[in-house]
Amino acid sequence: MTGVAPVPAPNDVAAPALRIDELSGPARAPVLHRVSLTVPRGGSHVVLGPMHSGKSSLMRLALGLERAARGTVTIDGTSFDAAHPDENALRRARRRVGVVFDSSALVSRLTLLENVELPLVEHTAVDATTARRSATDLLREVGVVREIDRTPDGLSRLDRRRTALARALVLEPAVVFIDEPGHGLDAHAAMELDDTLRLLQERYGFAMLICSQEVRYAFHWPDAVSVLAGGRIAEQGHLEQLRHSRHETVRRFVDRRGAA
Amino acid sequence: MRQASVATDVDAPPDDASPSLLPFGGRFISRGRLALRSMYWLGSLLAPHPPDRPAPVSAGVMRELDALGFGAVRLVAASSVLVGLITVFQVAYQLAPYGAEVVSARALAWFVAREIGPIVVAILVVARSAAAIAGEFASMSANGEIDALRVMGLDPVKYLVVPKLAALLIALPTLTAIAVMLAVIGGWLGTSVVLGYNTALYLEHLHESLAIRDVGVGLAKSIIFASLIGIVAADEGLRVERRVSAIGAAATRSVVYCLLGVLAADTAVNAFVYFIPGLT
Repeated sequence: MTGVAPVPAPNDVAAPALRIDELSGPARAPVLHRVSLTVPRGGSHVVLGPMHSGKSSLMRLALGLERAARGTVTIDGTSFDAAHPDENALRRARRRVGVVFDSSALVSRLTLLENVELPLVEHTAVDATTARRSATDLLREVGVVREIDRTPDGLSRLDRRRTALARALVLEPAVVFIDEPGHGLDAHAAMELDDTLRLLQERYGFAMLICSQEVRYAFHWPDAVSVLAGGRIAEQGHLEQLRHSRHETVRRFVDRRGAA
Repeated sequence: MRQASVATDVDAPPDDASPSLLPFGGRFISRGRLALRSMYWLGSLLAPHPPDRPAPVSAGVMRELDALGFGAVRLVAASSVLVGLITVFQVAYQLAPYGAEVVSARALAWFVAREIGPIVVAILVVARSAAAIAGEFASMSANGEIDALRVMGLDPVKYLVVPKLAALLIALPTLTAIAVMLAVIGGWLGTSVVLGYNTALYLEHLHESLAIRDVGVGLAKSIIFASLIGIVAADEGLRVERRVSAIGAAATRSVVYCLLGVLAADTAVNAFVYFIPGLT
């Protein structure tokens, strides 16, 4: 990718890039109940569900941003107890993850270039010139070609999302979490972002966990799809299985959104 | 190409600034932890830095110094001259029945250096910057920027709090020194131009009454106030939940707690200095 990022050797190359076992939480007010899923190396898993079904909570709990009631998360061979995470294990696991939040969550005080450079500066021993070149190359690769020395204020949502994607990829993660990739984007911009994601995944082979309420992501990445309803996984499998699910809720959700 | 991660991956203290990771709440615990963590990163900021490595924290300090320090110079300057004038008139009014208005320069120099200078600067910085700091951090929390930093293994305290705290630690003593000088000039305007006393006499009283220890106590206070404002405002911003409506409340709370904190700290320092021989 950038050619400079440190890539810790995975503990077990045969193990999935991401494995979530029996995850429930958050501990203070559980909205998610016994959710389990895996994402193979280089593969994708799309978690679908309406608003407030627990998609964002799933991401936050799996990343250790909130304390879970129970459950285990394994990222690139490093496991941690989501209810009582060991600080070192959590740090190691996060080191192998890239995240694109629905708000993009770029640091507003920093320029686009500095936003992408920051993980490199913190986690590698690269010099200033190399860090700058790598970040610039990656920004170009995701499609942000102009004004990389400006702050994110006033930037289009697509460019913010692309910059967040570049920042997520700069340390060559094993798995990338993406929350609502199409949030706030028009159809054309969302399609452009989908194409960029597909291209980069093919090129670099990272795994993706996509959480969205838009069924079209299941059509783009149909191999592994979970439908969340009321904080539980109502159905899990290939998109075709979901279309013939025994749960009417799942069938209706997939068909309605698919038609839209 | 693989490279070893730098030591910060494992050596940094645990990131426990997150409200959700604080099992026992309480502002004092949270601020104490934030202060300790900030001291850790402030210390590392002073360590030698390879010249070819990027220095985002140092760059952040310069940026914040511009916003929190240079940006406040005009406000502090104008206020200080006015405070000097006000003090001279008040003291002269009290001394007039005894025919001793001329010695108001003595009271002014001592009082401004020890008390009025640091307090006025701290209150102006609180009014100007405490709400802005808390609001900025609360907004970042609401937008997920703080979470994004944590997930990337980047300590928000190192990249967000420390540049502001370091800038305040540089700016407040500097602004206090400027404030004391300008308040003395304001006092001279009041004594010489308005009350009509001799400038040479004013300078003589000033020279006799102003001791280095007075300036030292004032600057020490400004360093305490800077730490307090930086930690309290940052903590109020970082501890909010991920709700946009929490931003305004965090900004308001930060101003209230900073003002109370500054006054309480000033009282404590004054009480301490009162009982230490040689400092009064």
